[in-house]
Parts: sequence; C-alpha cells; structure tokens
Amino acid sequence: MNYFAGLDIGSTAIKVALVDEEGGLAGVHVSDSGSLFHKNAKAALGLLLERHGLVREQVKYLIATGYGRKLFKEADDSISEITANAIGAFEVGKAFGGVRTIINIGGQDSKAIQIDATGSVSNFAMNDKCAAGTGRFLDVAARNLDIDLEELGDYHFNGKGVPLTINSTCTVFAESEIIGLLANGHGKEEIVAGIHYSIAKRTLRLAKRVGIEDRVYFDGGPALNKGLVAAIQDELQRELVVPEHPQTTTAFGAAILARSEFLSGNA
Amino acid sequence: MTNPNAKTAALPYNRSRQAREAETMLDHITDDFDDNPPSMAYFYDLFRRAYCRGESIEREGVRVGTTCIHAPEELIYAFGATPVRLCNGSYHYDQIGADFMPAKSCSLVKATLGMLSSENAIPKTGKLDLIVNPTTCDQKKKASAMMAGMGHSVYELELPPAKESEQARVYWQRSVREFAVRLRQLTGKKLTRKNLMAAMAKTSRAQVAFRTLHNFRRKAPSLILGKDVFLVTNAYFFDDIDRWTDAVERLNAELAQREKDGFCAAQKKAPRILFTGSPPVFPNLKLPLVIEQSGGVVVADETCSANRMLYDMTSVDEWLLNNMVDSLADKYLKPCTCPIFPNNDDRIRRLLDLAKSFAVDGVVYQTFAGCQVYEMEQRSVAEALNKAGIVMLAVETDYSPDDLGQLTTRIEAFLESIKTRKRKAT
Repeated sequence: MNYFAGLDIGSTAIKVALVDEEGGLAGVHVSDSGSLFHKNAKAALGLLLERHGLVREQVKYLIATGYGRKLFKEADDSISEITANAIGAFEVGKAFGGVRTIINIGGQDSKAIQIDATGSVSNFAMNDKCAAGTGRFLDVAARNLDIDLEELGDYHFNGKGVPLTINSTCTVFAESEIIGLLANGHGKEEIVAGIHYSIAKRTLRLAKRVGIEDRVYFDGGPALNKGLVAAIQDELQRELVVPEHPQTTTAFGAAILARSEFLSGNA
Repeated sequence: MTNPNAKTAALPYNRSRQAREAETMLDHITDDFDDNPPSMAYFYDLFRRAYCRGESIEREGVRVGTTCIHAPEELIYAFGATPVRLCNGSYHYDQIGADFMPAKSCSLVKATLGMLSSENAIPKTGKLDLIVNPTTCDQKKKASAMMAGMGHSVYELELPPAKESEQARVYWQRSVREFAVRLRQLTGKKLTRKNLMAAMAKTSRAQVAFRTLHNFRRKAPSLILGKDVFLVTNAYFFDDIDRWTDAVERLNAELAQREKDGFCAAQKKAPRILFTGSPPVFPNLKLPLVIEQSGGVVVADETCSANRMLYDMTSVDEWLLNNMVDSLADKYLKPCTCPIFPNNDDRIRRLLDLAKSFAVDGVVYQTFAGCQVYEMEQRSVAEALNKAGIVMLAVETDYSPDDLGQLTTRIEAFLESIKTRKRKAT
C-alpha cells in the first residue's frame, strides 16, 4: 500500500504524519528538534515507518513544512506551516462540525488563521519576532517555577487565589517578573494561572486581528496544557475545538496535501 | 563627533562589517535569480564599487546631503551643487545610530545617523557642505540637532504639517524660497531662470526614464523583477544623475527587446505584489527579496525610495523664475503620500490605482518598528484595499536579519493563499 507523509520541522519539536491512499491518518510521531534538524527529522520519519512496519519506498510523496522545511532536501516539496495548518485543521475540524478560525501556538510563534468555507486561508496574523506568548515562554516560566511543563495544567486549576497579572510582554522581562512574584511570597498556582491568562490575552489580540469566526480550533504543543486552554476559552468567551493530537495537525495537513498532489498528477 | 566603535579603518575596506553586509545582499540579488538583465550590470557594479570596495563616487563642486524626498533637488542642481540622499539602509549603521536615538526608533533614521557619525561611511560621497533636513516626522526633526552635534552643517527646511490647505501651500513656498537663499549663500551663485530650467530638464529626463521603467512593469508575465528596480531607484540616491539616466535608458531598451522576444522574468502565475510602506533602502532589501525568492514578483511600489521619489513631475504655468520656484514647491508637497500628513487619502487612491492598473494580486505593507505614522495608517489602508477585493499583508520589521525565518513563513503563506484563491476562482 502507498503512503504519503507530512514532516513538520518546528523550532522545538519535529512532527511526522502518515496518511494512506484513502487519506486516513495512519500514524503520527513527535520528537525533539534538537540542534541537528535534518538528522533528527530523518530519524523521526524512520522511527514512524519502523513502528508501522513500512519502508521508505512506500512513501510516495513527502511534503516538508515548519521552520526547518528548507533543510530537508529529500522532501518532494515544501509548504509554509500556515497553509499546512489550515489544511490539517479544516480536515480534523470536519468531525466537530467545521472550523473557521485557527489559533496555533508553537515553540516560538503564535498564529491566528482564518479559513473560508472551502478550507483556504483567507487571512492570518503572526507574532512579530518575539517569543512572548509562545511555547518557549511556558518553557522558561516552568523552569523558573521549578515545575515540569506537564504540571502547568494542574497548577492552573489548583489555585486558591485570583490569577496574578503578568504585565511583561517580553519573555526575558517576564522571567524577572515571575522571580519577583515568587520573592514576594505568591503561590506558584496563582503565578501559573497568571501566565496562562497573559498568553490568552495576547492570543485574543492576535485572533481579533484576523477576525474570529466560529468554530475556533486550537492546536500546537501548548494546546496539551489544559490550564492554557481554559484561560483562552475564558478570554475568548467561547469553546475551543482541541483535537486529539494538537501537535500534529500541521504535519497531517502537509501529508493530506502530499496525497492530493500525488493523486492529481502534480508529482 | 567621532564614533568610538569605528575601528574598521585599519581593516581592508572589503572586510569591514558594512561592506560585507552590502556584499551579502548583492550576492543574493545577483546569484539567487537566473536571467538578470545584462544592463543591470551597471547598477550591480556601481553598488559593489561604492558599498563593498569603498570607492568614491566622484563629485564636483558643492555637495548637499538630503534626508528626505521633500528637499527640492532641482534647486540644488540650479546652484551648481549636487544632492546626495542620505537615507541609509545598513544594519551596521543602525546599530551605531542606536547611540543617538531611543531604542524603539525607526531603523532608517538610526542608520542615517550612524552612517553620518562614522569615519568610514558608505556610499563614499565625500564631505558634505550642507545637510538639508526637511521637518517631516518627529524622528527626523530631532535628528537635526544630532547631525549638527556631529559637526555637520544642517539646514532645516520647514515643511507645513498639512498639505491640503492654501495656507500650507503658501507656507511651503516661502520655505522653499528661503532654502534658495541659503543655497545662494552656500554656493555664492545666483539663481537664474536659465540655470533652473537646465536643472529641471535634468531631473525631468531622469523622471521620464523612471516612468518608462515603471510602465514596463505593467506587463504580465513580468519583464523585470522588483529587486532590480529597487536597486535602480536606490542608485538614484548617490549616482551622477545623467549617468544614472543613461543607464536606465539602456535598461529600458533591453526591456523593450525582452517584450518583443516574449521573455518572462517570472512565472506566469507568480503572484503580483504591490509594495508599500517604509522604504526599502539598500542593503535592506530584505522584504522585497523574500517576496521574490518565495516566488512572488513585486510589480509596483508606493514608497519614498522609488515611486514616490520619482513619479510625480513638476508642472509649470509660466516659465518665470518665481513661478518656476513655486511650481517646484508644489511638486514636493501636493502629490506626496507620506503618512506624516493628517489627511492622506491620496495614498489610498494611489494604491487602489496602482493595484488596478498593474493587475496586482496582493499588497505587502512594510512598517519599520518605531515608525508610528506608517503603523497608524495600516488599518485604514487595509480596509480600503479589502473593500476593493485586494488582500494585504502587514509586516512589522527592521534592519536586523533575525526575523528572516518568520518573514519567509508569512510571505510564503501569503503567496500560497493568493495562488489557492486564484486557482479556485478559475
């Protein structure tokens, strides 16, 4: 059987998705990007194929996306992660009744994308060269607080007081702000909730720039953080559609495109 | 004021940071694309000589630096002096200029100050006898005192805060006449009708050549890429005007031949982009270059380093000296679409007109971080364009290369969305 792959080489994680001839998702894999993007991307693809008992030759078409897309020369084509994300979210979103707005928070970017009824990107906005409000921000914050990234969600819901306000929009300044709050004896729970609300507020501004239309899909690694999801829902005043594999929507989109490119004879 | 960081003098020129920055950009402009027009060689060579090898651009007589397109260059030529536009695009000088301006100021103003404070400034245009600084945006206004502090002789050319009223027009005409008086003091020459006519003929020949080049860009598929046109108009800043015009005419002749031969400088379906906002100034051609490296083609622009600088021509009622000076003043105020003016609907009209007549698929709006007026106009421009069915991508950036990855992603996604929309429309 033939397969098609999407390889999303992000700043923090490499995501691979495989689809079969019918366009169904056959498997996903996530691993760290590290510093050797190309080597790690190749290894990630190899691992996923091995797990499903497949060989490289069965992957008939591969599209690379993400920050490191140009580095992976073995790809048949590359596409920006905004287009790939839109394709993936449109497909996954069908099960939820269709989505029109996508919020993506990645390792060093955050994006808001609006798609039309046919799944094409109609507008998008992205943060300007600054890691505020991205996965990196959560990473730094968790390290300051001496807790695991995975624990952020629990801390968010265990707070007894009001979420604190984190004013700094810069990751580096926010770091000193967090240390200041700790030094003043504030609880980690309230600080964590404050961080989530600060990201949520920035995300809302970004989404407003493209225009919010129902339903709103939320993906990227930080979408695994239940506390952040709750904070964004609170700021948006509406439910978010969070997929089962929020990290791999973009890789899935690239794989879908790989399949349609191959089948339409563009390959 | 000498800059304490300027240790480059001991190095061979081509090893200096500013030279290598320029060289990297030129390499991208020439090597990343096939089929560069052979007559562009003049411009590639000009920039290599002036920026990478630090060769002097020979000048005779009095040199007058200008910091903005509002300084009437015909007057400068009429007094036998030569204008040199000082607006700088170097990240190296941007960092040096950060010593003078607040951290969040515009890269262009910082780079210009950084360049003026450096001993080894490029392009090498020689010592300036005067710098004319029109009172345009706040950052440029406040730069006057800093340039004076560096030992430059600065003349503040007073621009009115609005451009529509008769009051503003009269105010500006007086400012321009005052400027002529200052030039007379500087050069010891008299302004005559004959000299001014000759100067106006000189710039109008250059403008005609530019307009011809501009009109070639209406053609689809494109005959020339935008990165080359930006280089051509950037050369106008410092090149000898007659030599520049000759070179543009040769380029135009080549484009006419290309048209006959059915040559394509870009793919037929390459999204056609109109570029507006903060001006691309060499070596900061980062954003236009990313657009064309990603498969788009910049077919027109509305910026003060290209179209806004060269498109609008003087219209004289009566060829008497006073009348000619007033007409010149009008040319530098009335058609200007700079966002410093409170009412700038002209800019929107011009963008809509360019978008229509150049069959534009999308607009890229560049704002330099710190340039508030461009940022403030972003929304109204986007609304007007969207209403006319034209998509716009707003990009905030500066001279540093560190946002190149994100810029590429945004530009590619923008071009992909244009392509998808066109494919679905057909």
